[in-house]
Amino acid sequence: MFKQNIVLYLRNIHKHKTTFLINLVGLSSGLACVLLVYLWVSDELAMDKFHEHDEQLYQVRRNVVNGDGTLATFTSNSSLMLPALQQEVPEVEMAVAVYEFGNDAQLETAEKKLSSLGICASEDFFNLFSYPLIKGNAKTILSDVNSVVISMELAQNLFGELSQAVGQTMVIKKNGLGIKDVFTITGIFEIPKNSSENFDFVLPFKTFLKFRNPSYINWYSNSSSMYALLAPNTNISTFNQKMGDFVTKRAKFAYPEPVFFSRYSDNYLRGNYENGKQTGGRITYVILFSIVAVFVLSIACINFMNLSTARATRRLKEVGVKKAIGAKRKSLVVQFLFESVLLSFFSLACAVLLVMLLLPWFNTVASKELAFAIEGKMLFTLFFVALLTGLVAGSYPALYLTKFSAVNVLKGKINNSLGELLARKGLVIFQFSISILLIVAVGVIYMQLDYLQSKNLGYDKDNVIIFEITDGLNDKIDVFLEQAKQLSGVTNATYMQGGMTNFSNSSRGHSWPGQTEESKNITFRHAHVGPEFIETMGIELKEGRTYINEKPNNESKIILNETAVEVMGLENPIGTVINMRGPNREVIGVVKDFNIQSLYNEISPMALLCRTEWISNLVVKIKAGEEKNTIASLEKLYNEFNPGLAFDFSFLDHQYQKLYQSEQRVSTLSKYFAAMAIIISCLGLFGLAAFSAERRRKEIGIRKVLGQTTSQVTFMLSSEFIKLVLIAIMFTLPVAYLLASNWLSQFAYKISLHAGYFLITGVLAIAVALLTVGSQAINAANKNPVHALKDE
Amino acid sequence: MLLELKNIFKWVNSGGQRIFLLKDINLSVEEGEFISIMGPSGSGKSTLLNVIGMLDQFNEGEYFFFDESVHALKEKHRSNLYKEYIGFVFQAYHLLDDLTVYENLEMPLLYKKYKGAERKAMVADMLDRFNIVGKKDLFPAQLSGGQQQLVGVARALIGKPKLILADEPTGNLNSKQGEEIMELFKQLNQEGVTIIQVTHSEKNAEYGSRIINLLDGRKV
Repeated sequence: MFKQNIVLYLRNIHKHKTTFLINLVGLSSGLACVLLVYLWVSDELAMDKFHEHDEQLYQVRRNVVNGDGTLATFTSNSSLMLPALQQEVPEVEMAVAVYEFGNDAQLETAEKKLSSLGICASEDFFNLFSYPLIKGNAKTILSDVNSVVISMELAQNLFGELSQAVGQTMVIKKNGLGIKDVFTITGIFEIPKNSSENFDFVLPFKTFLKFRNPSYINWYSNSSSMYALLAPNTNISTFNQKMGDFVTKRAKFAYPEPVFFSRYSDNYLRGNYENGKQTGGRITYVILFSIVAVFVLSIACINFMNLSTARATRRLKEVGVKKAIGAKRKSLVVQFLFESVLLSFFSLACAVLLVMLLLPWFNTVASKELAFAIEGKMLFTLFFVALLTGLVAGSYPALYLTKFSAVNVLKGKINNSLGELLARKGLVIFQFSISILLIVAVGVIYMQLDYLQSKNLGYDKDNVIIFEITDGLNDKIDVFLEQAKQLSGVTNATYMQGGMTNFSNSSRGHSWPGQTEESKNITFRHAHVGPEFIETMGIELKEGRTYINEKPNNESKIILNETAVEVMGLENPIGTVINMRGPNREVIGVVKDFNIQSLYNEISPMALLCRTEWISNLVVKIKAGEEKNTIASLEKLYNEFNPGLAFDFSFLDHQYQKLYQSEQRVSTLSKYFAAMAIIISCLGLFGLAAFSAERRRKEIGIRKVLGQTTSQVTFMLSSEFIKLVLIAIMFTLPVAYLLASNWLSQFAYKISLHAGYFLITGVLAIAVALLTVGSQAINAANKNPVHALKDE
Repeated sequence: MLLELKNIFKWVNSGGQRIFLLKDINLSVEEGEFISIMGPSGSGKSTLLNVIGMLDQFNEGEYFFFDESVHALKEKHRSNLYKEYIGFVFQAYHLLDDLTVYENLEMPLLYKKYKGAERKAMVADMLDRFNIVGKKDLFPAQLSGGQQQLVGVARALIGKPKLILADEPTGNLNSKQGEEIMELFKQLNQEGVTIIQVTHSEKNAEYGSRIINLLDGRKV
């Protein structure tokens, strides 16, 4: 019987190729979506889970009260916390402090010179975290103050062969911190693919403390991340309650700064904190895409159900005959389920091919290195997903088709029941609702991103390049800038602390004339910049003057932004003497507000100080159209100061775009998902329309004989489906509006949602549906009615 | 006695009214009989045939088949019973379009769980007997109506039923083809198969040993 069922099924496929193709294409693309997202999601979920002690691995976080009374959560802590944790907290089995360098540390061996990303970590680092060690003993590699552990990539880059690296020495310099010493390589580590952290070398934390200005080693200066291995079975909420005042009881703060411990491996997916509470993070996208993938697959399953039940009349004869001959319902249900599972496995084979083809592209879009190997767990997952899809898609048709009695079927007494019609229509509505929702999502994300990219930031991000102040430039910044400005194509040049996309420094506890009690605790962002910073960045001056022609490090001047002036309540700011980052600074200028973070955030009060301390980057403004030549001559100049060092620069607008990388990714991915959903939905609609036209052949024939025109028939046939799409639109657009405004609400600067936009989406959906259904309707309407009626 | 119907009633409710399809039917059939059921359209012929064939339920009365009381049987037993003893021949043949002649003949055997070799032998036997060996790989659409009905009869016979129920078996055939099928029935009857047929044709009814006339669901 099994064999015969297969034969029957294959002949069926042969006979109804269109239906089969629609189902195959739909289910394969649905399954391919699910597979790709599965790969992505399992990769995301596995992030940072490779550490052996993952269950016990925690990071210390600290809540700080903002000026407006909300809490900000920081991961940086005082370096004094390390011994305190190690010695005074019994639950802490092991603790590690990490100081992050940034990527501008200079490495120098006899042959090579390069800048690289490093950290300082206390002795137990490689015991606490499970970064595999290729060379060296985890217990001892960081015990000497002049030891360094490097990554496999760095070792290969510097020495070619790994075996020769250990024992070699190199000079490591880091401006700002003042590290400059010879270090001996004691080990080589590897960063696994599923690690969210990335660093090229590790110095002992002792080294950091050795070079650190001793006046910064106190409970008020927070520079290091703290990680701890908690004893097994530690109740984390009780433990956190107990640890709350750990810092506050050691230091006198105006406001308490409660610390708490959070699972280390949670950082990657749930790293966002709002007002002191964990609010998610990338997990949102993981959930979102999982849902969307399942939706796309379910749209394909719905196609299968609809097409199967719609062409039931064709299959019903088989059911009737078989029942009359002695088949039981169960055996027929099994037969139909078997068919759908078979189809599902066909589709799986296509989907696997599709995934193999698409994976490189998907990796680029999602910026991942996913591999697709059909083995073990993956094989099981594939099998399970295909089986489930087949059973879900086949369940309704199987139960529906086999429920009729043989007599009724063979007499042709089958009327489509109201419930069944409603179910089919409901499913079409559901499909289109999802498609419309995805179209709206794509549109809103695209427009918002476009808005963010083109929004006036208050400075001119175009044609500005930014690069690090490397060792060779360190003492000769003025000389370099002077010579750079001479280059043709260079409009202006200056230096600054950090970058334009994030002014990382902030402080509070300042005072000014007319200060109120509430404004005492306002947090100000501030940056140290060069004299021509405002000109180079094209920031507009509101009043007063800029630092131009000013000698740096004149500790009696300050420039504020508009917001700062406003929150401080200064009526005539110019000339006012305030106490901010040093006593008695005279406000010499006020600049118009400019954005320094991603546009999720409002502009904060900000101060610009003309100082050379902590500066890390040079910024050069280039004439439009002369980028290539100018960069070449800048590189030449750079190499005069840094022989042998690659000129590693980035464009400011690229840096700015990077702020929205995850949104860009979501935008691209959702675009494809939406296209997929709408195509599969339309395929289903196409199949249903074709079927409906066939089923109503006789009716159409009679109508035409009675005088209905072709266009009337076309309208009649199309409207049957367009009505459904209209209902879907009515249901979905309000939901889409709510979801869109919810998503936008996280941005401080956002597009406003116009009704017209939703109208366009609706019109688009109808147009696509009309195109799909219309061809079928016209085709059916143009048939000669004689043929249709003769058959009967 | 092969089967016995006692006071069978069947009705449907339509608009608050009870419309009788079968009214107080009493009928006993001995093994080896050839019965023709006649009557105008809507008189309940097919309904009666379906009740006898256990494809349709009745509302009142008793039905004994080989002394089993059909009215008291569960669906599963009923289906086993008719699978074992009854073969159907339809006016519109009802062969499966996607299966070849051979496969159509084989299908009932699949549901009776015959072994592969047995099935092969039985189908070959049937093809032989009906002289359609050369057509075994053709699809129904490639056959004439008479040939299709021949296959239909062969399919009904293949399970070696005691009783064949035929609902206007010649209704879609021309007179020559119809005659052939009726001759075939006569021959089968002589070999011991009980046959009940529904027919409009007086001539075909004459093949039977007994004629039952129905009018408005009632025996007349």
